[in-house]
Amino acid sequence: MPSKILSYNRSIFVQNLRNVGWIGIVHLLVLLAVIPLRIVMAYTNRKWNYSPNWNNVFEISHVFQGMVVFTIPVLLAIFLFRYMQVKRSADYMHSLPLRRESLFFQHMVFGILMLIVPIAFTALLTAVLCNMLPLDNILFSTADVIRWTAEMFLMELFVFSASVWVGMFTGISVLQGAFAYILFLFPAGISVLVLMNMKYLLSGFAADYYLSANLERIVPFFRFIELAQRSLTIQEIISYAAFIVLCCGLSIWLYKKRHSEAANQALAFSVLQPVFLFGVAFCFMLLGGLYFGETQRSIGWILFGYVAFSLIGFYVAEAIIEKTWRVFHKWKGYVAFVAVMLIVGGLLHLDVTGYEKRQPALGDIQRVYFGESVYGFEQQDKRGYVAYVQPDQFLQTKSNIKNVYLFHRQLIEDRPMMVVPSTDTRQVVIGYELKNGEKLIRTYSIPFQPYKHFYQSIMESTEYKKNYYLLLHDRGVSPIRQVTIRTRYPFEKTVVIADSKQIEAFVSVLKTELERETVDEMMGPTNEWGSIELLQSDGDQIQLSWKKSYSQLEIWLNQQGLLSKARVTADDIQYAIIVKNEERKPLHELTSDSQFQQQLPTRTDVLRITDKKQLEECLQKTTPSKDTSLYIIAFYRTDQSAPAWSVFEENHLPSFIRNQLP
Amino acid sequence: MIDVRHVRKEFADVEAVKDVSLHIQRGSIYGLLGSNGAGKTTLLKMMAGIYKQDSGEIFVGGEPIFENTTMKQKLIFLPDALYFFPQTTIWQMAQFYKDVYPSWNEERFWRLQDVFPIDVHKKIHRMSKGMQRQAAFWLAFSAMPEVLILDEPLDGLDAVMRQKVKNLLVQDVAERNMTVVISSHNLREVEDLCDHIGILHKGEIIVEKELDDLKADVHKIQVAFRGGVPTAFLTGLHVVYQEQRGSVLLCIVRGQKERVESYIHQFEPVIFDVLPLTLEEIFVYEMGGIGYAIENIVV
Repeated sequence: MPSKILSYNRSIFVQNLRNVGWIGIVHLLVLLAVIPLRIVMAYTNRKWNYSPNWNNVFEISHVFQGMVVFTIPVLLAIFLFRYMQVKRSADYMHSLPLRRESLFFQHMVFGILMLIVPIAFTALLTAVLCNMLPLDNILFSTADVIRWTAEMFLMELFVFSASVWVGMFTGISVLQGAFAYILFLFPAGISVLVLMNMKYLLSGFAADYYLSANLERIVPFFRFIELAQRSLTIQEIISYAAFIVLCCGLSIWLYKKRHSEAANQALAFSVLQPVFLFGVAFCFMLLGGLYFGETQRSIGWILFGYVAFSLIGFYVAEAIIEKTWRVFHKWKGYVAFVAVMLIVGGLLHLDVTGYEKRQPALGDIQRVYFGESVYGFEQQDKRGYVAYVQPDQFLQTKSNIKNVYLFHRQLIEDRPMMVVPSTDTRQVVIGYELKNGEKLIRTYSIPFQPYKHFYQSIMESTEYKKNYYLLLHDRGVSPIRQVTIRTRYPFEKTVVIADSKQIEAFVSVLKTELERETVDEMMGPTNEWGSIELLQSDGDQIQLSWKKSYSQLEIWLNQQGLLSKARVTADDIQYAIIVKNEERKPLHELTSDSQFQQQLPTRTDVLRITDKKQLEECLQKTTPSKDTSLYIIAFYRTDQSAPAWSVFEENHLPSFIRNQLP
Repeated sequence: MIDVRHVRKEFADVEAVKDVSLHIQRGSIYGLLGSNGAGKTTLLKMMAGIYKQDSGEIFVGGEPIFENTTMKQKLIFLPDALYFFPQTTIWQMAQFYKDVYPSWNEERFWRLQDVFPIDVHKKIHRMSKGMQRQAAFWLAFSAMPEVLILDEPLDGLDAVMRQKVKNLLVQDVAERNMTVVISSHNLREVEDLCDHIGILHKGEIIVEKELDDLKADVHKIQVAFRGGVPTAFLTGLHVVYQEQRGSVLLCIVRGQKERVESYIHQFEPVIFDVLPLTLEEIFVYEMGGIGYAIENIVV
């Protein structure tokens, strides 16, 4: 009997070798080209060519290695199990006196050989080469080569067994390949789709928080690329190995259940048809929601995306199952799909789980997180750098916990959804860490103005301010050695304060300014003269913006006689011309229009100012940033012929301009 | 040898085979007839253990055939659409069969080269359809199976080769007691070969007969009486078909030949002949109502 078994094995092995042996050869050749050949190339060019250091084998053309790992085993699985997918060969192979288990087993063993032999050979050659050739840029040892062999084999086996497994579900080789790649992307893809769509349906859903959990880790291709930096952990090895075993086990199980006549059918098991149909429709629906949600940000467009894309998905799935594009008459399933989705979506939107309303009891809260982004919620303490301005922070004082809590309660009541982004839109993230260790996080996009008083109570608090500005931290700032004040285009000036007494006075005035800064100045569009750079004794710097609202600082600078050195003043300006931009043309278009520039001083519909007080007021109130404003001002300086351009925001327009140039 | 019990098979909501039962004795040549789409191929593939029936049982040599390697070693199925491994020669296929079928007879393989004039080192894919079929038969005969299941096997063979193959089949049945199942949509093609016939129509077996029985059971007679047909005459006969040609009554009746003859003689006919009946006619008259199926098969 053993000789019998041997002869069966030999016969199938010979056939496989004849049919798919070429994949093994291709596998070997590409591996040889990727690694040993590269080493030899680097060796022959070592004198006059730069080649990078290789700390391990994965670093040698690692993207190309990734391509090998994610194509060869898929191809191998397709070609090796092609006999199942073609009617004639499926019938033939299953008429042979071989059980399905043994057919499967023989094909698997053959496939594994096609993977391991080229890898082992390449590894051997690499080990020999790197021991023989005196190359400076090879920084890895034989142990690294062994590690490469093992990890490479594990990854290829993973791709291979997954491809074999999905092949059991379909009777078409092309679909087998497609399903394999979809499978690799599926866990990450569906997470993104579901999370992002939850955001559209649930007010406050912190999609970014869940998405921040390194989703690319579960995309095997990215994990492979990362092998150059980071070996597989024991956990990962176990999970990959478990997945491989699971795939093989499920494959045999499915193969035994699978009918021979499944060959050439899109889905090998008819029970899977509705799963596939509705699954594809569902994924497409989410994709449509995501696309229109991110581009249009309106519930109407999202609903349109749901309907249009789910219809397309349903149609595509139906067309794949029926293997024809003429499946327009099969619409009844779609009606059922829509009905189910309406119920699910409706329930979610009506918040049957109480997700939107969930808020811990005030007494249970240990501390609250308040900011603009979710990232600090998990990684506040792990942050590798110190921010000069830190809007994301944990607050612990009773009053602030209560302020945040009240803010959140208002948001729960208002259910802000789908805000069309404008300059007034703010992202607010509220997180709770409870005394029992539980956490809860919500994010909202809201207009700033209606919620200003909530912001005010939190952001103007001492606790928040101290965390917000690095300069106000109790600890953490070393003595300041030098202050540099810079103003930028169009009036560049720089002043350096190096005197320690002056520095001390300056910093204390600046601190007062920061402490009494209002929420509008913190959150609103910054209107600044320039920047303040504080050089600490340890060499670190602190950068802050010199806002036009810092009146105390201005007074102090003036007293010290530094103001005119630090920034432009009315004394620098000869006159200014204000013109109304009725067509709302972008400023940069007007300034590059030489005719417009030349005619400006002679035009009668403009306002010309020479009064120093008025000029100063104009300087204080202009903003350089906003492009399409109604009022444009050109400052003509004494020392320069070309004017400096700026604009007024309408709510900051000086009254004399409004009066004279209505 | 082959026992099919209440077998049913469905493909994508279409019932290809509905509750079929049949029994094929060892050493017989069973002709499975049916029009296109009657379910012949499906039934044969189930007998060969390729398809699994949805319900019912199929025994070959007393054992369920599906996934039964011991029985499948003794069974060869030749499909209507042949398959060979890509780019193989007959010799390479023979090596494969040798490994897979323990009963492979190398000597016979080389002996059969006289019957099939094909170069063993020629790639099968380069051959004509007829030659491929010859190659398939060559391999099948060399494997010496106990059961040979053939789906439309004679398509594509020329008349000489057809006869050679038929001879080989009969020879194997006679010498080794091999069991053969042949499907065909043409009764005439297998008439001289089969000893049993089953007709499959729309997934159901509508007739299953031993050919000798069949011929013994139905008779074509012409009778004429003085003064017309006696009124009681037809009541005592099982008439399948009747036709008045002038004074002569032509009819096809069922029953034992002796009994029919003695019955008719009682009425003292002027003319009484028992005419030869072709197998076609037997089927057409036997089946009567299900005419379409039969007509298509016998044409």
